Amino acid sequence: MALGTLDRSLPPFFNQGPSALSKLVFFGALSLFLMVADARFNVTQPIRAVISTALYPVQWLALQPVHALQNSTAYFSDLSQAQTESVQAREKLALQSLRAGQVELLTQENNRLRLLLDLKQQLATPVMAAEVVHDAADPYTRKVIIDKGQAHQVELGSPVLDEVGVLGQVTRVHPFVSEVTLVVDRDLAIPVLNVRTGARSVAYGDPAVGGTGMELRFMGSNADVQVGDLLTTSGVDGVYPPGLPVARVVRIEHRAESAFSKIHCMPQALTTGARHVIVVKPVTADLALPLAVTAPAAPARKGTGK
Amino acid sequence: MIMRSGQQLLLPANPVFIWATLVVALLLNMLPLGRVPWMPDVLALVLVFWSVHQPLRVGIGIAFLFGLAMDVHQTSLLGQHALSYVALSFFASMIQRRLLWFKVPLQALQVLPLFAAAHGVELVLRLLVGGVFPGWAVLLAPLAEALLWPVASVLLLVPQLRAPDRDENRPL
Repeated sequence: MALGTLDRSLPPFFNQGPSALSKLVFFGALSLFLMVADARFNVTQPIRAVISTALYPVQWLALQPVHALQNSTAYFSDLSQAQTESVQAREKLALQSLRAGQVELLTQENNRLRLLLDLKQQLATPVMAAEVVHDAADPYTRKVIIDKGQAHQVELGSPVLDEVGVLGQVTRVHPFVSEVTLVVDRDLAIPVLNVRTGARSVAYGDPAVGGTGMELRFMGSNADVQVGDLLTTSGVDGVYPPGLPVARVVRIEHRAESAFSKIHCMPQALTTGARHVIVVKPVTADLALPLAVTAPAAPARKGTGK
Repeated sequence: MIMRSGQQLLLPANPVFIWATLVVALLLNMLPLGRVPWMPDVLALVLVFWSVHQPLRVGIGIAFLFGLAMDVHQTSLLGQHALSYVALSFFASMIQRRLLWFKVPLQALQVLPLFAAAHGVELVLRLLVGGVFPGWAVLLAPLAEALLWPVASVLLLVPQLRAPDRDENRPL
């Protein structure tokens, strides 16, 4: 019974349950324990999976008004816009068909050369199309949710690409959805290769620029990096297939007080508006099998697999 | 029963209505509106409201469960919202006897520190774990929640404000 209501049931006199303070201590300690288990030991995935499955209908319901709005605006979008888009697509196709013709030839040639050099075959990685459902609302990280999960055989650690470049990596897999940490997140690092010079380095998310940029860390102030350099995945991590565009250098700050210069990059992928993405199987998943079979030869072959 | 002068005697609250409002608040929080640091936490508002008005029905345990749901949905640290909601619910139950003596705008002023503390707990936790500072706009969230308190006090009390006996000349 609450104060000021016409509730006719009496409040319990003797059976009051535990006091508010003891409940606060119990649940506070429980949430602190969960936080430590989550941040330090990463053992809370089963709890997350259960809650996520239970929440799925509610999430689906919450998505409906937004989807309806998007669909209706798309339906009423201009005919002229559709036409310009089709012209652009045709031009792009013409440009790409030229390259596609060369690719056939080059792949064949490459295969022969690789056979000659007795290298491991370049792996054709299986991919899966997915759709970004929404941005994760947590303002402390940069993540998006995609509509494929364990039920669709998404693997933990899979790289996620959009049509331009690397978007991020799958960092949590739930039964029906997955969480993708974007390349602009501070905790995500990608080994990259400067296409112009061939120098390898590591790109991190940069929280300073409103969380939309990246930075190349630990590059000496005399390193050969220029504004406009394209950075692609180097493939040394065994996660990202090599040669995917990641970012472009936009600004270089040489600092007198430090031996390193600060190199700002812009990600190539649409980190704020990507809708359709592809999830690529991590390269290591393919490498693991032959390595396990031929265990003694593993160290020797590891270097050639890149 | 001592009451503020001029306060209306309310009808008993319907538990189904309480749960329905909590679920609707969860839905509102889950609307995919992107990463907006100043977005008011409607679920926290509704939890505080029911902790004040129905402390025997909505308490710390329910706040904890809804906090876990928000954590999983927002992909934040598991237990972050749970801890802040538990603290909110506890402090709400501490001030609930005093709060109902005030008029609604003054009540909003009194719950503002509660919401500020809840957001402060989340901010400190995330910065400790190594999150990115989301910007000063995060300070607006407790303010927006306190401004929504009068709206919640009208909307959530509507079923209880009906007349005890149905009257044909009075629609409500």
